[in-house]
Amino acid sequence: MPTTDEAESRLPLAGIRVIDAATVIAAPYSASILGEFGAEVLKVENPKGGDPMRHFGTPTRRKDTLAWLSEARNKKSVTLDLHLPEGVELFKALIEKSDVLCENFRPGTLEKWGLGWDVLRQINPRLIMLRVTGYGQTGPYRDRPGFARVAHAVGGIAFLSGMPRGTPVTPGSTTLGDYLTGLYGCLGILMALRHRDRTGQGQYIDAALYESVFRCTDELAPAYGMFGRVRERHGPTHNDFACPHGHFPTKDDGKWVAISCVTDKLFERLAIAMGRPELATSHVYGDQKTRLENRHDVNEIVRDWCGSLHRDDLLDRCFAAGAPAGPLNSIADIFGDRQFHSRRNLVAIDEEDIGETVIVPSVLPRLSLTPGRIRHLGPRLGQHTDEVLTELLGLDAAGIEELRSKRVI
Amino acid sequence: MTGEPASTKPAPEQETREGGASASPAAATGEPATATRPSHENEQERSPEGDRLPMSGLRVIDVGTFLAGPYAASILGEFGAEVLKVEHPVAGDPMRRFGTASKRHDATLAWLSEGRNRKSVTLDLRQREGVDLFLKLVAKSDVLIENFRPGTMEEWGLGWEELQQANRGLVMLRVSGYGQTGPYRRRSGFAHIAHGFAGLSYLAGFPGETPVVPGTAPLGDYLSSLYGAIGILLALRHREVSGEGQIIDIGIYEAVFRQMDEIAAAYGLFGKVREREGAGSFVAVPHGHFRTVDDKWVAIACTTDKMFERFAAVMGKPELAAADRYGNQRQRLAARDEVNRLVIEWVGSLTREQVMQLCIDGEVPVGRLNSIADIFEDEHFQARGNLARLCEEGLGEVVIPGVVPTLSETPGRISNLGPPLGNATYEILRELLGIPAQEIRRLRQRKII
Repeated sequence: MPTTDEAESRLPLAGIRVIDAATVIAAPYSASILGEFGAEVLKVENPKGGDPMRHFGTPTRRKDTLAWLSEARNKKSVTLDLHLPEGVELFKALIEKSDVLCENFRPGTLEKWGLGWDVLRQINPRLIMLRVTGYGQTGPYRDRPGFARVAHAVGGIAFLSGMPRGTPVTPGSTTLGDYLTGLYGCLGILMALRHRDRTGQGQYIDAALYESVFRCTDELAPAYGMFGRVRERHGPTHNDFACPHGHFPTKDDGKWVAISCVTDKLFERLAIAMGRPELATSHVYGDQKTRLENRHDVNEIVRDWCGSLHRDDLLDRCFAAGAPAGPLNSIADIFGDRQFHSRRNLVAIDEEDIGETVIVPSVLPRLSLTPGRIRHLGPRLGQHTDEVLTELLGLDAAGIEELRSKRVI
Repeated sequence: MTGEPASTKPAPEQETREGGASASPAAATGEPATATRPSHENEQERSPEGDRLPMSGLRVIDVGTFLAGPYAASILGEFGAEVLKVEHPVAGDPMRRFGTASKRHDATLAWLSEGRNRKSVTLDLRQREGVDLFLKLVAKSDVLIENFRPGTMEEWGLGWEELQQANRGLVMLRVSGYGQTGPYRRRSGFAHIAHGFAGLSYLAGFPGETPVVPGTAPLGDYLSSLYGAIGILLALRHREVSGEGQIIDIGIYEAVFRQMDEIAAAYGLFGKVREREGAGSFVAVPHGHFRTVDDKWVAIACTTDKMFERFAAVMGKPELAAADRYGNQRQRLAARDEVNRLVIEWVGSLTREQVMQLCIDGEVPVGRLNSIADIFEDEHFQARGNLARLCEEGLGEVVIPGVVPTLSETPGRISNLGPPLGNATYEILRELLGIPAQEIRRLRQRKII
């Protein structure tokens, strides 16, 4: 067994330093993933209040929030006021010693502080910079404020969520677009690192929240482009692709199941689970096209069957036949679920400083040889300022004290 | 913190690792010690001159179906990797028949878009000769992506041990509904099921009413592929240093569950079960979708007090943001219905374009709920090149989403739409594997390819 130090040095991003000067979830999530796989992540925050994420959601005993504790995992907090010239100079010194910068200021803000791409690449030609905004660094809307809620709307998925002609609803979570963009950002950084390893050349990644959302819309664009078809809200079912494909209530009040028969074979298995194999014969509903043409009848048959059974019983029958079904889990269901525990998707972390046990989602993706890890949850504001200024930038105690008295840090 | 998948066996310790691990990965990969990197040698040979894309020189086998996993190959392909789609000789990827038909008999629109940048190679893995050919391909490749039900590849004699014997540096992405381990691993899983299982579908819709699809049915497929692509890049980085390949094991449900901010922590500490919230959100008010007088919709998101102050001014009611009214988020959350009613009234009295203009001028976060028709007309989508237009003979123009993310020095590109079934079988067998033409004919006759 390797010692902890050996395991650390083997992580794929050991030796990489990331400055996360961004706020809330999108760009910071890119940094979180890099940190899980061995990068050192310095969260650079405004000394007055820090990242607003610290106040977003349910408060903890330590006066930051659960979302902060979970998503700022593995980061070191360094305070630095970029509105002050001395803050800017320190930031440049950090850039010189780092590999990656994540930021999500409105376009032009860093430039205003004298920290635009041209300046930063002069300081460190190997720098990789992730820029995340609502609309990207270019285009007519680039200066508009953007949040995931708005990105879901602009990217086309809010329009598609809800009952036909009813009020469009939140697509499950208001932060989806943030995480999606964090994933694309992380991917961009890793590809840019690969290019840098070969050429020594850094670059920037220009990510927009709405683009990440729009990229996940399968054939929405080509179907409109070719046939002028505007997809509408379809309630609990998919669109025009597959039947049955939706959410169905069971005999247990408030407990739903999802069923998804994307191929004829899967429908055959469902018919067997229902005890009605004849439904899958070619002259009944064996063919996807026939099922789509008779979607109301097919859905009614499935709905009646689901409504006649308890959820667990229904799912057991589906699993025995290999039919594609699953529960609509609430978070309470998830905490009781064997698969989540078997895969250790929930990690309980107890740190003395926090004073209560916090359960957070564990690391993804799962690598067999070099798995990521959570070393600690979100830090206190400025917890690592002294350490980083001393060890990385070589400042002495008097210098740090002066910066603090001037509120630069 | 993460359990190692039980089904995978890490490669035995290699002496060569010490040399690589002593230097930082960045430095080590800058000056390759070729002795420790057998796979990378192939990669260098193959890198076409002048091709500077970050994934160029890399060969990826995509033997998956539909999107969960294969989309990772699409991204690698957009950034320069050569992607071989290995498909069944008769049926091909079922994605070819999923969705709206095009003029090409073997391609739906979804296939044309998401099968981008691939070469199609047919191979029947249910036949022994097909398996042997597959192992030869694996020996000449860097990455393998699959999404069969766990155990299927093992049944064909293509388990990790056999694959590693063929190629010690192989990086393998395995995506399935529930992952390679755990009690449910053998269950069939699709994104729609995974959205339900991971708790996302439970949250989409109005309180007490029918839960709806969270916007787009294959969301979990895209998410799991994004994690997969990240895993592949991390594993390739490790391979540069050590020469060792490894497995990335992703359950679609996990990729969905990871997006849900504080839901687990809040239930763990306070027993709070989040319920469906309709068009709103539990964290902020006003934060939702509102109907305009011309029967269109806008999203408005006031996540901070400052934004609400601006919004109140835009509505012509600055007094609403006073400290004794709704100036504080907690006050607004407590008076959610009343605040929302004021916004519904105001938005409902104006056209969508009026609301948009007033909010943009007042710096309030606002957006249209775009239909795809709106998106095609939107100047920002145009300016950013989000709609890529590709022409193919017999198909006409096909509009597909452009490459994400945008890299400044090495932007990705779309070289071709989803290919015809088997369009590169001959080329790959002949040129890459060196199989004589006569033998290729025999394989074709026996429906092995």
